[in-house]
Amino acid sequence: MERRIAEILIQELKLENVTPDTFDVNTDLVKELGIDSMDLTTVVLVLQGEYKVKFDEDTYPSLTTVRAIADQIRQLQSTVS
Amino acid sequence: MDLDAKAAAPDKPLAEPAPVTLPEILKRPDIAERFAQVRKYFYLRESTYDMTRRCNLRCDGCYYYEGDKQNTQDNVDPAAWRTLFQAEKARGITFVVLAGAEPALVPELLAACYEEIPLGAIASNGLVRIPASVGYRIHISVWGDDRTSERVRRAKRMLERQIEIYQGDARAIFVYTFTRENIAEAHGVVERLARNGCKVTFNVFSATVGYHGPLRHTPATLAQTRATMLSLLEAYPEEVVFSRYNAAAHTDTLSLHDLYSCPYPRQNRGQFGLGRTFRQYRSDLTWIREAACCVPDTDCADCRHYAAGSAIVTARMNRHIASADQFRAWLDYVDTYLAVWVQGYGKHPNLGTVPISPSLALQTSR
Ligand code: SF4
Ligand code: SF4
Repeated sequence: MERRIAEILIQELKLENVTPDTFDVNTDLVKELGIDSMDLTTVVLVLQGEYKVKFDEDTYPSLTTVRAIADQIRQLQSTVS
Repeated sequence: MDLDAKAAAPDKPLAEPAPVTLPEILKRPDIAERFAQVRKYFYLRESTYDMTRRCNLRCDGCYYYEGDKQNTQDNVDPAAWRTLFQAEKARGITFVVLAGAEPALVPELLAACYEEIPLGAIASNGLVRIPASVGYRIHISVWGDDRTSERVRRAKRMLERQIEIYQGDARAIFVYTFTRENIAEAHGVVERLARNGCKVTFNVFSATVGYHGPLRHTPATLAQTRATMLSLLEAYPEEVVFSRYNAAAHTDTLSLHDLYSCPYPRQNRGQFGLGRTFRQYRSDLTWIREAACCVPDTDCADCRHYAAGSAIVTARMNRHIASADQFRAWLDYVDTYLAVWVQGYGKHPNLGTVPISPSLALQTSR
């Protein structure tokens, strides 16, 4: 899942010099990559479609790394099923 | 109960329709194209600055001379402003709003700011011309026809003078603020602005904390305001920079905060988006986190201000994906925001054709 999230991030935000395989899942997307809240919201909405889950907007501030996003998706999937 | 439907029902319950997703919505060509256009501006990161305590007018209901933001000492040193803006740029601010009280009275400070961060807008009463070298968007406040302005703002021939000064100036957009008292006058004012080739957008009077005077809206005057906005949008599609969804969002009986949850630090202590980056500086170059929003001292329960909506509604893309039409409405809002605030961004034709209730965004917040 982490690899797919990285792939979507790279694709949606047109990130350069990084591939899904080299993406550090602990990189802080806001502080280290400077990703804006609107771009992060776009990625979240794309992921909602991909994984058929719904993120609570109050959790957006915690979605700052690929790992945190993946953990959140797994948690949402476990509460749905 | 619908008996026909019951008779036709299969043994097993039908699967719920899949929820609409952003990728599905973006398959519509009109939406995909507009989303790509507005998305280029997602990097805009705003803060606001009171440039001076001075003003050449004293209007009833002025929001600047409420609260204690006026009880400060103006910093009039262009070098100090330049240093501040360099620091603002370094912390990622890309868009500045220069306001309170009357920025046109301190052109040398505007010039210093413009040299450091060239994207932004100035809120002005439009009676003193801002030098052409300051390339920010200029918002000129209009509170009614000349008779009303003379009574409320104590300025004679105000609209006439504003038009004389800013006619043909690509930086200028007139902002008509609907109060409880001036709704009918909007037709004449917008007609006059349109005849003179001026662009106009709409604001809704939002009371300051504790204000219960005659300008504060009621549910009935909000409904009248909405109808007037829509008829003017239809009558002057080239000159009126607005959308159906703007009209709906700013005239709902619920405030913008109640509908969309305001992301400014004053209401949002979180570290996401505006909550993390936005500051509202006073004219002495200080700022207070607890008071930080684009219209401090405004009553959040009555906040329908156009500047507030520009951040509040645009930030809530996630609450507008219940249907393609709801997303079109949001895109129209963002397109309007960019055309009103960003110099050089031209308004596109609105995509939305059906009325969308803002309360839908409230329902889809979770
Ligand atoms: S022009 Fe603006 S700042 Fe000046 S008194 Fe009127 S409302 Fe207040
Ligand atoms: S007055 Fe408006 S913009 Fe300011 S904090 Fe309240 S809701 Fe937000």
